[in-house]
Amino acid sequence: MSSISDVLEKSIIFNSLEDTDLQRIAPMFEKWELHTGDILTTAGNTAQYFFILGKGTLLLAMKDGRSVVLDAPGDFVAMELLSDRGMYKTTITALEDGMAFVIPRKVFLDFIQEDTPGAAAIMQAWQGFLDQVAAFAKQIEVINVPTIF
Amino acid sequence: MYGLEAINANNGWATSVVGITIVFSGLVVLSLVISQLYKALDLYENPQKIRDWFSRAKRSDKFLETEVPLFVLTEEQKEIIKQFALLVRTLEDHFSLPRLFELAQISGVKNFHSNLNILLKSAIIFPDKEGFFCWDQDMYIKTISNRNSLKKMEDNRK
Repeated sequence: MSSISDVLEKSIIFNSLEDTDLQRIAPMFEKWELHTGDILTTAGNTAQYFFILGKGTLLLAMKDGRSVVLDAPGDFVAMELLSDRGMYKTTITALEDGMAFVIPRKVFLDFIQEDTPGAAAIMQAWQGFLDQVAAFAKQIEVINVPTIF
Repeated sequence: MYGLEAINANNGWATSVVGITIVFSGLVVLSLVISQLYKALDLYENPQKIRDWFSRAKRSDKFLETEVPLFVLTEEQKEIIKQFALLVRTLEDHFSLPRLFELAQISGVKNFHSNLNILLKSAIIFPDKEGFFCWDQDMYIKTISNRNSLKKMEDNRK
């Protein structure tokens, strides 16, 4: 699974998008190689990117001692899991070699703020994904306010 | 023949009881259907939820598959995992994984990233769904036992 198209197809966040939306969003991602021990983000730094996992295992360490381990291709690290008001709140460490695709935070937030079925589908799938992997990270009061991230 | 006499003579009481029962049961069923209708409408409006159920089931299957370690540990890895076991003893039952990570780093545990990954893949360390992690002692013993590893090695050779 080395192409962004394959990963988006596998991702429960993006696999409900129409082909036109997929073709629009796919070029916004950039491929990053991951090596064991790489630190992708550091809590407290300015949030620049969101990540979709292609291969490997990521440890997401949050400020309060909680953490999430993601290892499924298509897992998306963004919003509640990663940032708060433009700052990273999570430190991501690669636990093994792999690969991820990154999208600039602002580009993604602009995309999901569009009044389109694609944006709505992503937000809805995101809530389902959070329920599965990190229900504790959900911020009920700020749902549908993407700029908060 | 009229009135109560006629009702008695033609099983009127029994017929009315059966009628009332049928109507009442129908109303109960109807009210139950209406009370649950919002769930069906929600699924109709949000088909993503149905897909999520299936993907969740797949994820659970995957977790169960990974519960049994599928790889053979080297003696060095076993020693490192024993070091992790000692570190976990200093933590609470539901511990912070980043804290364990930090302790491993401070203690100079060798290759702690990849060995922590082994602990997660082999389900010796598993998430409690609240952002903390637990240590499965049975799985730990099973994984580091020599006989078990030798058996796996033989199986792999076959």
